[in-house]
Amino acid sequence: MVVITLQRNKCIGCNYCVELAPKQFQMSKKDGKSVLLHAVDKKGFFTLKSNEEAILDDCENASKACPVKIIDVKSV
Amino acid sequence: MQQIELMAPAGNFESLQAALDNGADSVYFGVEQLNMRARATVNFTLDDLPEIAKRCQLKQVRTYLTLNTIIYDHDLSIVKTLINKAKEAGITAVIAMDQAVIMTAREIGMEVHISTQINITNIETVKFYAMFADTMVLSRELSLRQVKKITEYIEKDQIKGPSGKLVEIEIFGHGALCMAVSGKCYMSLHSYNSSANRGACKQNCRKKYTVIEQETGFEMEIDNEYIMSPKDLCTIDILDEVVNAGITVLKIEGRGRAPEYVAKVISCYRDAIDSLNNGTYQKEKVITWMQELEKVYNRGFWNGYYLGQKLGEWATGSGSHATQKKVYLGKGTHYFPKPQIGEFKIEAYDISIGDTILITGPTTGAQEVEVGDMMVNDEKSEKGKKGDMVTIPLGFRIRPSDKLYKIVENKVEA
Repeated sequence: MVVITLQRNKCIGCNYCVELAPKQFQMSKKDGKSVLLHAVDKKGFFTLKSNEEAILDDCENASKACPVKIIDVKSV
Repeated sequence: MQQIELMAPAGNFESLQAALDNGADSVYFGVEQLNMRARATVNFTLDDLPEIAKRCQLKQVRTYLTLNTIIYDHDLSIVKTLINKAKEAGITAVIAMDQAVIMTAREIGMEVHISTQINITNIETVKFYAMFADTMVLSRELSLRQVKKITEYIEKDQIKGPSGKLVEIEIFGHGALCMAVSGKCYMSLHSYNSSANRGACKQNCRKKYTVIEQETGFEMEIDNEYIMSPKDLCTIDILDEVVNAGITVLKIEGRGRAPEYVAKVISCYRDAIDSLNNGTYQKEKVITWMQELEKVYNRGFWNGYYLGQKLGEWATGSGSHATQKKVYLGKGTHYFPKPQIGEFKIEAYDISIGDTILITGPTTGAQEVEVGDMMVNDEKSEKGKKGDMVTIPLGFRIRPSDKLYKIVENKVEA
């Protein structure tokens, strides 16, 4: 299982995660910050648990590229 | 003489209060992510706008919202929201670089200031932006002589902004300088994906570098390894020339710096501007101001480019040259208004009579005082240590959770 978290409030809207993992991330037109699709919100931490191992590489690249380091990716 | 507006940076409520307490005429600040300090650990949010406006209006201080990053398509909606909320809250103006921001602000009649990132260097460009803006920050490529020419043209040709008033010219007076054109640098982007133009500069230009030829391994000898880190700008010693250039607004850099930095720099420049106004600006005072300015964060001072000197005044270290530093002592716990006494819990180091202490907080700002009298655990004492409750007579109110620091000498490496 792949677990991805996004600490959304610190996002600066740079768009890297969308470029690298377009299936998992989108930019919100409302507040210009990243959205982790299909994620559950818990006090500003958005978590997505997925059985699709194929998304791991893209999400790890997004995590590495994030300039404010708010994307965390784990394979459990 | 032209009335000079002293414009202070505010990265958080502590700094905002420090600016208000020390005589700023205006403050500039960023909200949410679309400002040049987006990576800051503390940033104002949309919900803070009314409180910022309220505090500043009480002191008749003008408020400028910095919205001066590059703007992507996905930002356009939040840009509108920010500008609408700013207008609603009674913020004076928006500082803009991107034309989308300029247009959005003008559509709802919000005053616009042109950011230094637009790099205005001639009178025709001033005329162009006068269609949208009342105040413009000029480019750093200009010497004071060139700035003066521009302000004279504005007067002569009667160049007016949307408000119908003559266009006002603003320049940076003090603070960090960038190796690149202000906020237009790709170094941080190329090395960390962290775009300076999005307010996420990692400041890797401030580090020490060596230059090695790959083929031979030959290392170039560089006298000063900080080859991309300019000293900080300081104009307090040439303020008379700066004002004579016909500028209206003197901007102090430092939204990423501490509240005591804002307090110190604003109080020095307030004093300097007032001295110019009443004819008492003199060398002796300049020496004192410089000594005060050196106490807080700085990379060494320089006023080169305004005077047309050659570039290349590099910092001699990656950090601060400040002659003083603050040491955390503890937290405020209570204030007794009648006897005017502040109570603190000491959590680290110790405190003695004669120490200079600094108290910071979102409402308190940054207040520096000398400890003249003290009680430790309800008994008169010369010294308090970790774990003690200390009470100190203070002429100002403190709040629970205000932070207490001691100011100590900082040994600066040459």
